[in-house]
Amino acid sequence: MNKLMLSAAIALTMGFASQGFAAGPIDGTIYGKANISAVNAENGADDTWKLNSNASRLGVKGKTEIADGLYAIYKAEFEMFVDDGSKDRSKSKCSAVIDQTGTPTGDQVCITDSNTNTFSQRNIMAGIKGSFGTVWAGKHDSPTKLAQNKIDLFNDLEGDIKNTFEGENRVSNIVAYTSPKINGFSTTVAMIPGEGADVDGDGQDDTGLTDGISYSLSYSMDNLYIAVAGDQDVNSQDLLRIIAQYKMDALKLGVMYQQNEDNLGTKDESGFFVSAAYKLDKKTTLKAQYGSIEDDVDGDEEETMSLGADYKLAKGTKLYVFYTDNTDSSVGEADKEDTAFGLGMEHKF
Amino acid sequence: MNSKSPRFLIISCVIWLFSACAFSDCDFDTDDADSPNFVDKIIECDEQKKTTDKPALYRASGAAKYKNTTKLYGDGTKDPASGIFERPIVAPGSMNHSLNKTFAARQAYSLRPGAKFEQSVTLAIQRLYIEMAHHCAKGWSIEDQWSEPNPEQEGDYFLHYRFACAG
Repeated sequence: MNKLMLSAAIALTMGFASQGFAAGPIDGTIYGKANISAVNAENGADDTWKLNSNASRLGVKGKTEIADGLYAIYKAEFEMFVDDGSKDRSKSKCSAVIDQTGTPTGDQVCITDSNTNTFSQRNIMAGIKGSFGTVWAGKHDSPTKLAQNKIDLFNDLEGDIKNTFEGENRVSNIVAYTSPKINGFSTTVAMIPGEGADVDGDGQDDTGLTDGISYSLSYSMDNLYIAVAGDQDVNSQDLLRIIAQYKMDALKLGVMYQQNEDNLGTKDESGFFVSAAYKLDKKTTLKAQYGSIEDDVDGDEEETMSLGADYKLAKGTKLYVFYTDNTDSSVGEADKEDTAFGLGMEHKF
Repeated sequence: MNSKSPRFLIISCVIWLFSACAFSDCDFDTDDADSPNFVDKIIECDEQKKTTDKPALYRASGAAKYKNTTKLYGDGTKDPASGIFERPIVAPGSMNHSLNKTFAARQAYSLRPGAKFEQSVTLAIQRLYIEMAHHCAKGWSIEDQWSEPNPEQEGDYFLHYRFACAG
């Protein structure tokens, strides 16, 4: 970069910076967390120690009042990789190959994520909020995923329910409406345009506004939270989920029932998930969760079980320890068992 | 422009973001950003942030935070220099010492370019020291100080001292 360009860039940056301090082009706040853990993972063949970043993130969010009671809101959140500085280039996602009749051929196709960016997009949205509710759009967790309401106590770790259950989707091109909370009730409905992709697997390109739909209806009052949520043609799945959460003194309980099937009829699953967190004292919380889901098409079963404890060092900072056992049982095959033991630290800011 | 330019632009953007935004100082939890009511959390936390950005005493509306503090201002005659109604500045010589008592005093000053010397912060401090000497003749400690804008005139402020008589 020549000196002229460098000077111009610095001047531009300083200009923005001084403007930010004076009045603020963005009415918002920066937030985020660093969540790192040292994990011993074993899958029967390999026993590996690794350092994980666990969806550490940096975000900026805010609102600007554009008229009386009417707000423009935004949120832009990015995953950062505390462990190695960039997204893992060797991470691959594999899917089973099926023939035209929908029968699995036994082959797999794997896509290697070659994204080596320092930051990776998480939830990015903008919207308008008024007394009518909020209309928002972007790339964001679906209403179904949001409705889970963190009953997953080992979120972002090896015990994350996304490793066992469908429906934990962050969706691109989402357009959503969230109602105001009325007598404890609130609903969110989202439309997901296919933008030319075949989202329902019928062999036709989908170009409509409502090619995928995700919704949730929730009720929360005092210590009780109940929600019904579902997807239609989201990540090739139709899904229904019922969630309940209840807090009583030091104990927090969560339960979820889920039923989902894919568009091609190769998967028809149903299962449940339960979790419990118990605050021993002001600093220590014990946690446990278990989930099981079974596929009625082929009889395959997946289970997840996690135990752990958090020790709060300060507001927003904790140490934690956990053990997770994820088991995948396929009919006619030996069980595939992944276990992980880890120690970590989370600091929110 | 060589290959380092995009990196420089990214760094510039990040600096800009950090400069433009305050760090979150309310009870917003990072995980709230992924909660079902994340929109409400954005709105509520921002409202709370605006409130907490004000000085401590201003935020707690004076009496609420320093309820045992005796206010020495307001309800007086109009100061010809500042145009503000204030109690008269006490005369040197008429001194008291109120042991174990805490006071809050204020004086107006102006930062407007055309402000007179009588409206300078130097004179405001001088007047506050005279006032503190009157109420705490045997000495005092300044426990807090802050400035608030005068809503009647842009560029004008009140300098507040909270002080306690020496024991």
